[in-house]
Amino acid sequence: MSADLHTLTGAYAAHALSDTERQAFERHLEACPACAQEVRELEATTARLGAAADSPPPPELWDRIRAEALVTRQLPPVVGRAERRRRTGRRGTAAGRRVPPLLAAAAALLVAVLSVTALNLGLLGRADRADRTADLVAAVLAAPDARRFAAQPGGTGQATVVVSRQRGRAVFVADGLPPAPADRTYQLWVVNRSGPRPAGLVEVAGGEGRVTRLLDGPVTGNEQVAMTVERQGGAARPTSEPVVVVDLKA
Amino acid sequence: MTIGTEQGTSVALTWTRREPPHRPAQAQDPAARPAGDDALERLLALVARGDEQAFAELYQRVAAAVFGLVSKVVRNPAQSEEVTQEVFVELWRTAARFDPGRGTARSWIMTCAHRRAVDRVRSAERAARRDDLVGRRDQGRPYDEVAEQVETTLERERVRRSLDALTDLQREAVVLAYYGGHTHREIAELLGVPSGTVKTRLRDGLIRLRDHLGVDA
Repeated sequence: MSADLHTLTGAYAAHALSDTERQAFERHLEACPACAQEVRELEATTARLGAAADSPPPPELWDRIRAEALVTRQLPPVVGRAERRRRTGRRGTAAGRRVPPLLAAAAALLVAVLSVTALNLGLLGRADRADRTADLVAAVLAAPDARRFAAQPGGTGQATVVVSRQRGRAVFVADGLPPAPADRTYQLWVVNRSGPRPAGLVEVAGGEGRVTRLLDGPVTGNEQVAMTVERQGGAARPTSEPVVVVDLKA
Repeated sequence: MTIGTEQGTSVALTWTRREPPHRPAQAQDPAARPAGDDALERLLALVARGDEQAFAELYQRVAAAVFGLVSKVVRNPAQSEEVTQEVFVELWRTAARFDPGRGTARSWIMTCAHRRAVDRVRSAERAARRDDLVGRRDQGRPYDEVAEQVETTLERERVRRSLDALTDLQREAVVLAYYGGHTHREIAELLGVPSGTVKTRLRDGLIRLRDHLGVDA
């Protein structure tokens, strides 16, 4: 059995095993350093075979990848063994008398963090809304007719609007957007021939200034999208000059 | 300038000239060049922290290798683009899980690309595609197609020479598995040999390629 498994390194590295065989072999790999080393070497070999078939992708593919990556949450790293041991050890003291104060402190800290976060960044509402709008955002970004329009804001950062006429919706994506001034917020507008209508507030969470925001309401593709700085809570009509304008007719 | 015009047949808006979105230059330096390995690992570490500039640079370095390999296996251009997109979004999503102790960044990326391509061809269109491959085998072995295409770069030439150094059975097993996306059972069927033979030829063949190409891992 074992001798037979050792010969599967090549088929494994070339992905020529069935799912069941692959799973069985991966269990074997955990216990067989020789096979694991051989797989490393053979995967490095197949990587060379793969690179020898290189062919440039169409230029617009990057835009689609970037747009999807921007709305894709990254996995955290696997926490190291030492860290896990440390946490297990801490849990091991759970029977002791000193733990309740620790727990209380942790709970208080958590409440404080959540409150600050909720107050300052609106993250609770944001996460809530994200659940509801994530599908719409994905639908717009993945729509076959999705088109991307770019603007250059005055400062650093980039803003784009992805529009699907079929779905009648648009997504505002910004990158490197500086935080709004104190007591102010960014507000989006969809501007057509009859003037601007509010399309939602933009919360800049985190230091990277990344924003992905479904525009409120329908979009036909014959509009402009603008972003202004408004007082907290937003305004019914824009009261300042736009810091970003994206022309969807371009 | 204001966009608060009350009526207006034209909306008075001026703005700074729009610049094209950031887009990395067309990939010139495929993963074929082993010299870039350290750079790839550094880039992956930055991507794991959400660095979009590093992600763009990573794309620039490996997009042609990934897209080329995926196209080779998947063949349909639109599907190849979809799979390539899946691969890069997966790299973005899982960059923090890359473990240098288990192989190089290049291996990890190309293994992910190959795996996704193989998953794609093995799902919906499996039956149709197998018929297609049997048809094509009568006109010429897939290896000939590879050989025709791998002429331009030194790396391609080295890979071609290394493939030439294999026995016929080793070469066909490697090419049908890796570029064709077939399981060892399908290859056994196509070549009319036992699947145990295909498994050992795949291993022998890849080991010989490893030694020929001087692969370190």
